[in-house]
Amino acid sequence: MKLNQLIRWFIPIILILLGLPYFLSPYMLMVCYLSFIWLVLAANFDILDGFMGYIHLAQGVYFGVGAYVATLLLGMPYIQSLGMLSIPVVTLAAVIGAGIVGFFIALLIFRLKGLYFAVTTLVLIFLLQIIILNLSQITGGSYGAFVPNQFYISTFNAYYLALILAVISIGINYHLSNSKIGLAFQSIREDEGAAASIGLKVARVKRVAYVLSTLPSAAAGVVFALNSGFIDPNIALGVERSLIPPIMAMLGGSGHFLGPVVGMIIIRFIDVLFYSYVTLPVSSMLLFGVVLMLVALFIPEGLLRAPFVKRIRQRFSKKNDEAS
Amino acid sequence: MEMIIQLLVSGISLGGIYALLSFSFSMVISTTRVLNIAHGVFFIWGAAICAIMVMHLKLHPGIVLPFFIVVFAAIAYLFYIAVVKVLMKKGSHYILSGSILATFGLALAMESLMNTLWVAFIDPTPTFMLQMELPPIEFAGMLIPSNRLAIILLGAVMIIIFHFLLTKTFLGKSARAMAQNLDGFLVLGLNPQRITLFVIVVTTIIIAVSGALYSLVIPLEVYEGLPLTLKALTIIILAGVGSLPGTIAAGVLLGMAEVIGSFYLGSVWAPVISYAILFFVLIVKPSGFFGRVSI
Repeated sequence: MKLNQLIRWFIPIILILLGLPYFLSPYMLMVCYLSFIWLVLAANFDILDGFMGYIHLAQGVYFGVGAYVATLLLGMPYIQSLGMLSIPVVTLAAVIGAGIVGFFIALLIFRLKGLYFAVTTLVLIFLLQIIILNLSQITGGSYGAFVPNQFYISTFNAYYLALILAVISIGINYHLSNSKIGLAFQSIREDEGAAASIGLKVARVKRVAYVLSTLPSAAAGVVFALNSGFIDPNIALGVERSLIPPIMAMLGGSGHFLGPVVGMIIIRFIDVLFYSYVTLPVSSMLLFGVVLMLVALFIPEGLLRAPFVKRIRQRFSKKNDEAS
Repeated sequence: MEMIIQLLVSGISLGGIYALLSFSFSMVISTTRVLNIAHGVFFIWGAAICAIMVMHLKLHPGIVLPFFIVVFAAIAYLFYIAVVKVLMKKGSHYILSGSILATFGLALAMESLMNTLWVAFIDPTPTFMLQMELPPIEFAGMLIPSNRLAIILLGAVMIIIFHFLLTKTFLGKSARAMAQNLDGFLVLGLNPQRITLFVIVVTTIIIAVSGALYSLVIPLEVYEGLPLTLKALTIIILAGVGSLPGTIAAGVLLGMAEVIGSFYLGSVWAPVISYAILFFVLIVKPSGFFGRVSI
């Protein structure tokens, strides 16, 4: 997509999204705000999967790290005495903390490739869950941790913060599909040996990608914690927190910067539909499992690249050409 | 002294189960290149279906075993048709992401299906356990839990059967050939689909039986499937793919480490031990100690 064409689409959409909270019911506002949080996670997952070819199934870990660092810091008297400054300070601390954790994890985990990499990342979720559950003096264990009342962010404000984060994440992905560093990621995806032989510092590029993918997720965790006022290992670190972003990205088409957006809209639509309008006799996890399986088996390249969508897009662009 | 013997017996029995779990896992990976994340869930289903048959339908143990094997052969056939066959038609690029995501979805669907059914029909708190109180054996003045001894015995029998299947029968030999060199295998005119079906059915039955054995001593819960898959993966990374002796050694090592660790540190930290071992191996020797990781 060309840049001017992009701007023609981008500006109206952003204006609509900016005005939307004034017209929505509180419930739909909540749904939209959570959708942006999911979009941040899905877009960050796509940095590693779509651009570098590493399937990272623990994106929720950095969401959880961000949420926990922010909540625990806000519980300290010194941070509370900073007043209004404390929220930016805490956000910065959470993002930097997640970056540092991500850096050390990246040192270890990039010793693996392919199948082993993906499954080992799953270990991270369970490891962090166990650590948080058992260090209950610090983290509150299974009872969770509370954010002090004066730092609560209303859903109205959280919507805008999440929107900013989502735009930043999609912006990162757009930049990656059009820049030198993105090209480096893609060359690693295609052939690591060849990438190293033309002088690319493969290990360093992988670490950069990994740390980059942790930062917006951690910030999203902070926003989520401040809005909900309460976090526990299940809310902040549940398996679905790490699992649904891959479904969104792959359903839309990973490696395309709009893939996570398309996938997020479809998955959230299904989710909200079955959660509040149609009651199922089984849990929503069954539905997600089946959707994930069908997507992986029948449209592994994602909706944006699926043959039938491509045909529609071609016909559409042909019509545009005739009209002009 | 009695304590040491008891720890040893529990460690070895746990390790035997882990060895069966992870060797069947590595057989599937090396022949089909499909990483089956639902592996641990089949284990849970083995325990659950065995518990239904023995505890709730009160079938005679002599009928249970053949019936059990038929049920899991059918499940494995469905798994082969619906997932493995579709995945193997794709190129090597999609088999990686496709197998992880598809079997992950399958694992979630199977877990929540079992949970829903169990809550609806049997019990609001699903735990799968075979309550068979065998009297402990007294040996040289020490009490040894005989459930554990039964597991060691049956586990050893299953490992021997597995070994026999792989080294003496035609299908087993072809499965090993397929794991070693797929091109050579195809040149010889062997049928990869038949061998894959054989591997999937045999490994699924073995996992299900070992799940039922495991539930003799330790109660299983519905959502333990994914952690069990991770444990199998830890053992494979420790041992290397495709080496049966290596897998047994690594399995027993992990079982002993878990039993001793939870004895001294408390059982809440027991799962951390296997993850710590995993990261330690990744730092020291990423290719495994007993074989070579070639995938």
